[in-house]
Amino acid sequence: MSAPDAPAGWKRLFLRYEMLLFAALVAEWLLFHYFGTTTNRRGVVVGFGTMDRQFDILRHSCEIGLLALALTPIIITAGIDLSVGSLLGLCAILFGKLWFDGGLPIPVAAGLTLLIGALAGGLNAGLITGLRLPPLIVTLGTYSLFRGLAEAITHGAVTYTDFPTSFLFVGQERWLGLPVQAWLFALVAVAVWLLVHRTVFGRSFRAIGFSPEGARYAGLPVGRRVALAYVLAGLIAALAAIIYTARLGQAKADAGTGYELFAITAVVLGGTSIFGGKGSVTGTLLGVALIAVLKSGLATLPIVIRLNAAEEISGLLTGALLLAALTGSVLPKILSSLRSHRQAG
Amino acid sequence: MKHLRLGVLAALFTAVAAVLTAADAKLMIALMPKAKGNAYFITVKAGAEKAAKELNVELLFDGPTDSNAAKQNEIVENWITLGVDVIAVAAENKEGLSTALRKAQKAGTKVITYDADALPDARTYFVNQATPEGIAYGLTDEAARLMNGEGEFAVITATLTAGNQREWVKLIEARLKSTYPKLKLIAVRPSDDLKDKAQSEATALMSANPNLKLLMAICTPGTPGAAEAVKQAGKAGQVKVIGLGLPSENRRYVHDGVTESVMLWNTADLGYLTIYAADALAKDQLKAGATSFKAGALGTFEIKGDNILLGKPVIFNKANIDQFEF
Repeated sequence: MSAPDAPAGWKRLFLRYEMLLFAALVAEWLLFHYFGTTTNRRGVVVGFGTMDRQFDILRHSCEIGLLALALTPIIITAGIDLSVGSLLGLCAILFGKLWFDGGLPIPVAAGLTLLIGALAGGLNAGLITGLRLPPLIVTLGTYSLFRGLAEAITHGAVTYTDFPTSFLFVGQERWLGLPVQAWLFALVAVAVWLLVHRTVFGRSFRAIGFSPEGARYAGLPVGRRVALAYVLAGLIAALAAIIYTARLGQAKADAGTGYELFAITAVVLGGTSIFGGKGSVTGTLLGVALIAVLKSGLATLPIVIRLNAAEEISGLLTGALLLAALTGSVLPKILSSLRSHRQAG
Repeated sequence: MKHLRLGVLAALFTAVAAVLTAADAKLMIALMPKAKGNAYFITVKAGAEKAAKELNVELLFDGPTDSNAAKQNEIVENWITLGVDVIAVAAENKEGLSTALRKAQKAGTKVITYDADALPDARTYFVNQATPEGIAYGLTDEAARLMNGEGEFAVITATLTAGNQREWVKLIEARLKSTYPKLKLIAVRPSDDLKDKAQSEATALMSANPNLKLLMAICTPGTPGAAEAVKQAGKAGQVKVIGLGLPSENRRYVHDGVTESVMLWNTADLGYLTIYAADALAKDQLKAGATSFKAGALGTFEIKGDNILLGKPVIFNKANIDQFEF
């Protein structure tokens, strides 16, 4: 009995969705490394294979990665938050305003910005759990509300710049060998992973996503647990706003436009079911990496560069990826049925 | 059959590889607009392509689809990774892009700006499309010509606080004082860079000042806005309209006889000059402290400090406006 069990266990590990994602990521990376690394006229090795590019990828994925982390618990509860990208913009503007017009020191302005982010998340939470409105509609409203506020505050024209270099350090320099924001990102990733996979909160998210009525009958404080996920998302979006501002050295009302869509793509690609009930933070991280490497890698392919449309092509492929992910979200089911079929056989 | 297909594929692959390596030996200049769908920048690109052909350099042209500083940053970083020789940008946001441009310079890529400058330490030269004097004097001279040197006129600006607009108004006033003492500037009204607002301001100006002979808009949305107001008031010919503007947005009014002329620099020449300057910079032919620069068929341009000057703006009127497509 024990002999046939061993290969089955190995197969189970190999067939896990995350392993497939990881394999896809490695394949994608190797492909870009092979086709995207060249030597330029001056004899310098350039392109995807350089260490600088790897750091660029890390830097670029932090903000969308944070939003994806914020969305993972929400989507597990069968909710959605379309407002995180707009909230990033609003928080960036308010952070700039508090520092520049308010004359506050950077740490105080950052602290207040995080508080504002949490409050904005609280607004979503209140409308969704208090008034029992659908998350899609509520956050579609706040999506416009937050962006509109950011544009109203700046009249669509004011840009906050001239941040001190000590602050830009967070977005543009390295600490202990890695971009500074990568450490912050890792910290949040670990925290969200612990929350989702190692606490009763995480278990209740899944229970709520699977069946909110069932969770309620089981005595779970559904409203409070769901509210927690949205407040946390607001808080993380505010952190992403601060990192975004430090990376670009500017805060403008259009900050983070469209980021929510990339973040949702990453979460769904990572195997979290858009219908709720199940999902994994590891999957989300792999989804983020897959998209970031794709975007960055495409831009280093000589053929793509000469088409002068790196942005359009990466948009196109990200769209294709989302469709693949939606189709792929049934893949684990197929795999498990395949597995049980084989075990039965 | 299979072998044939494989053979064709292999041949294709070799051909592509050969093309790519051959292209790699050329100088590579990357040109970035504020927004790549903008008619203004499409004509800049046309001029740039002409120059690139003459110089036998490879030209990359990419930018955000909307004016987005963050996307400009990403594209510059892509170009740094590719190791292009020169990056020429029209900066959407000065400070926002300068960090990335400095990074490019550190990586050995030469940087110039055109149309909209970055911070001076983030680039070597700025190809300046028009000096404040060129714009203000050009418009004032055109107004004086149309008004036979006397009468009342009003100016429509973007906002009363915009730095460049205030400078132009000051220079217009100086020109009136020194050259056209009989021209009277009776009002300067803001339009918030909106066509609608310019139209209502122009209507108000006409009813409050029956002797008004001319409206001058010094922001591009203001010119068609003022023209629409004059057209609706039925005062075409009685109140003349001039201003800064794209030929495409004003063509209709010029043909209707509402707008006399619009002024703008030749954007194709701007692209042409930018590529010539980029090429010279990469070949170390354009040194700091130079006072003039020769750009192919267009001849010699003046350099003032670190600004390469495109020269006088072009005036578009009924006679030539159809020759310009932007």
